[in-house]
Amino acid sequence: MTDANKRRPRYIGAAVLCALTVAIAVVLVVVLSENVVYFRTVSEAVNDRSNQGHDRFRLAGAVVPGSRKETDNGVNFEMTDGNKTVRVFHHGDTPALFKDNTPVLCEGRWGNGLIFDSDRILIRHGPKYQPPKVDTKHAPRVKA
Amino acid sequence: MSEAERDDAGLPRDELLAPMLRRVIGVVTIVSLVALVLFGLWGAPTDEVQGDAQRVMYLHVPSAWLAYLAFFVTAAASALFLWRRTRAEVWDRLAGASAELGVMFTGLALVLGSIWGRPVWGVWWAWDARLVSTALLFFLFLGYCALRRIPAADPVGGAKRNAIAALIAFVDVPIVHFSVEWWRTLHQQATVFNPQLNPQIHGVMGLTLWLGTIAFTLLYVYLLDRRYRLAVLEDGRADRELERAIAERISTSRGVVA
Repeated sequence: MTDANKRRPRYIGAAVLCALTVAIAVVLVVVLSENVVYFRTVSEAVNDRSNQGHDRFRLAGAVVPGSRKETDNGVNFEMTDGNKTVRVFHHGDTPALFKDNTPVLCEGRWGNGLIFDSDRILIRHGPKYQPPKVDTKHAPRVKA
Repeated sequence: MSEAERDDAGLPRDELLAPMLRRVIGVVTIVSLVALVLFGLWGAPTDEVQGDAQRVMYLHVPSAWLAYLAFFVTAAASALFLWRRTRAEVWDRLAGASAELGVMFTGLALVLGSIWGRPVWGVWWAWDARLVSTALLFFLFLGYCALRRIPAADPVGGAKRNAIAALIAFVDVPIVHFSVEWWRTLHQQATVFNPQLNPQIHGVMGLTLWLGTIAFTLLYVYLLDRRYRLAVLEDGRADRELERAIAERISTSRGVVA
């Protein structure tokens, strides 16, 4: 085995390690800079409205039942966290699970007043799993 | 490191599991994987909110748990190697074998999570603390596997270096698990190992999840045994081939003389 042959695997290994270290550092910086607070609740965002300007952020809350209205390029609905409520103008498609009471994250920025301009809706589902409950009380009765 | 005991074919005898036990584990693994498919696709009821997409859980969650387990084995074996009184080659090999499987299970958890996230969250990927710390875990142990391939002048020194790297990388495991409690994430909180230790999952769904965990654990044990064996054979290969070449040379030259 020549010297060059001996050194080559080490060289590649060191290069891979350096590349991985750089990748990890970049990822960490991205996360620490903006995503440690992945979203703000409706109350937090409303209370901090004056400092927010037109910065992009994610707003978290649940869809107020019956508030959804289809628009030309999306949907317009109310979102609440139980304390405060804002109106959201969403431009774009909505996910399949977007329904009344669904917990959602909207990506966008404040528009005029307490209107939030969103261009992406993410569904933030909970950790609970169960089959649909069969409503025996209100099930239609079959008359004999 | 002393000369290992050899079998009839001149190979070292060093194995993790007895052959009979390995065969039984192999068969039970296949049976439990088939049962997991049946329960996962048909036995478990459809989720009220997510529909059939939730069924990815029966593969995604066991993958993530097995990644934790595999890296725990790597860290424990590394600690046993570093401690003088328990230092043995078996711990170094076990650490390496388990780390490779851990990387595989972490990769599976990431890919399956992405497949689950697209229909439910609406995105393949999110830069939240859970997902990023998991990706970091994948690359940390991939780096550890790469590090193991870099030869050291002193084999024991090299193995110590690898063991220290494994213990450092393992720090990310609790960070991944608690990320959903410590930071705000798109990823939901833990269903089973939550701070209240009160599983939020319906009976048959929970059963299917445990079935998946058992199947994946058996698969892990089987693959760990095989990978360990491969490491044993890999280590002495150059020496054995040299011995065989010399033996062949001697026998052919004798033939010529005769």
